[in-house]
Amino acid sequence: MITVKDLHKKFGSNEVLKGIDCHVDEQEVVCLIGPSGSGKSTFLRCLNGLETATSGAIEVNGHTITDKKTNVNVVRQQVGMVFQHFNLFPHLKVVDNVMLAPVKVGRLSKDEARSKAAALLDKVGLADKTNAYPGSLSGGQQQRVAIARALAMNPAVMLFDEPTSALDPEIVGEVLAVMKDLAREGMTMVVVTHEMGFAREVGDRAVFMDGGVIVEQGPPSQVFGDPQHTRTQNFLSKVL
Amino acid sequence: MLRSFNWLDVESLLRGAVWTIVLCVTAGIAGTVLGLLLGIASSSPSRIARWVASTYVLIIRGIPLLVIVFFAYFGIPLMFPDIDLSAFLTAVIALTVFATAYMAEIFRGSINAVPRGQTEAAQALGLNYGRRLRFVVLPQALRIAVPPGIGFLIALIKDSSLVTVIGFVELTRSGTTISNLTAEPIITYSVVAVLYFVICYGVSRLGNWYENRSGPRRERPEPENQSAALQLEGV
Repeated sequence: MITVKDLHKKFGSNEVLKGIDCHVDEQEVVCLIGPSGSGKSTFLRCLNGLETATSGAIEVNGHTITDKKTNVNVVRQQVGMVFQHFNLFPHLKVVDNVMLAPVKVGRLSKDEARSKAAALLDKVGLADKTNAYPGSLSGGQQQRVAIARALAMNPAVMLFDEPTSALDPEIVGEVLAVMKDLAREGMTMVVVTHEMGFAREVGDRAVFMDGGVIVEQGPPSQVFGDPQHTRTQNFLSKVL
Repeated sequence: MLRSFNWLDVESLLRGAVWTIVLCVTAGIAGTVLGLLLGIASSSPSRIARWVASTYVLIIRGIPLLVIVFFAYFGIPLMFPDIDLSAFLTAVIALTVFATAYMAEIFRGSINAVPRGQTEAAQALGLNYGRRLRFVVLPQALRIAVPPGIGFLIALIKDSSLVTVIGFVELTRSGTTISNLTAEPIITYSVVAVLYFVICYGVSRLGNWYENRSGPRRERPEPENQSAALQLEGV
């Protein structure tokens, strides 16, 4: 589903990613963990072209997005993304947030898109907020709308960039529950997270990044239970 | 042959006020449309578009409106000798050229004030540049542009009095004529001032109405969450 080869990313002279090789299978849930500044968010953002790779190759769902000839917007339609700060469109109602891409890009009719949006909002438990504006929702509700919006294009992969980091602790659970459902349904997911419990329980693989490289990866039980590298051990001892 | 200030004078001042309104509405609309295009250009990915926009703004903002008015008055007949431009159209062109530069900066600032996350979310959904602009960025930017835009239009209404120098009879020009005829400058200019005030007040109210027109659109501030702040990534 996703294949990354020797990915480097520099911001000016600051090399944030120093050669990442990674493969994500279909239906796999990969959790990226690591300290702040380790490059995990940058890595995730390279996967849908929000950041342009300095060198290396990224293939997502059969498209090589590091190839200049690839239309990145076509790839992005197959890759859903959920942001730390939700980034809902404040001038649009909840339902219009979800419908925007299917109508303007996906060529669904308004009626088709509306019923699809209704189904997705129902799925994330927000059928009653259809006509609300994002500003009137809680953070957890906004993030669930954001997930519904990303799902509206039937993506093959979902990318989550610290989806619960901006939420109050008591509402983190409602967002994680939606993500668990998605994983159970077989969605391919790459999740940058500080929720170690989620990574351990839902993830098929945990990838520990530090200093722009993948230090260690494997089944969560192994990475969390028996970390091999001292950097992983240090990090886990601080966050667990 | 002095005569006293009477109701007929008020009537001709009102006529002048109508011309001021017509002039400013025309130049205001033209300047807003052209300014929006330049504002989009100056925030666009195209370097050439950005250069054209910023150069225009740089030049026009550095020239006094009065000089622009003179340029229009003397320059256009030189460049296009066949066209007989009325004083009104000359005034409209001068004010439009002037307003475009300022509106362009207002729109550029408003577009840039739309949070980066909005563009990224639209990008992540696969919207191309034009669609991002049309459906996500501009609707939010236009709302941000209203207060400074209205402020500038009010300034434009008052600055429009400068076109008296080319003989276009608008509010200030009517006032000058009547003041000379009646030798009652205080009364005359008081009426002129009141009329300017009424026009500007109307524009202010229009702006307030537009801002309050529709429901809750402001995004609530980000949830204050200390752990979130600590976890914010540097890159």
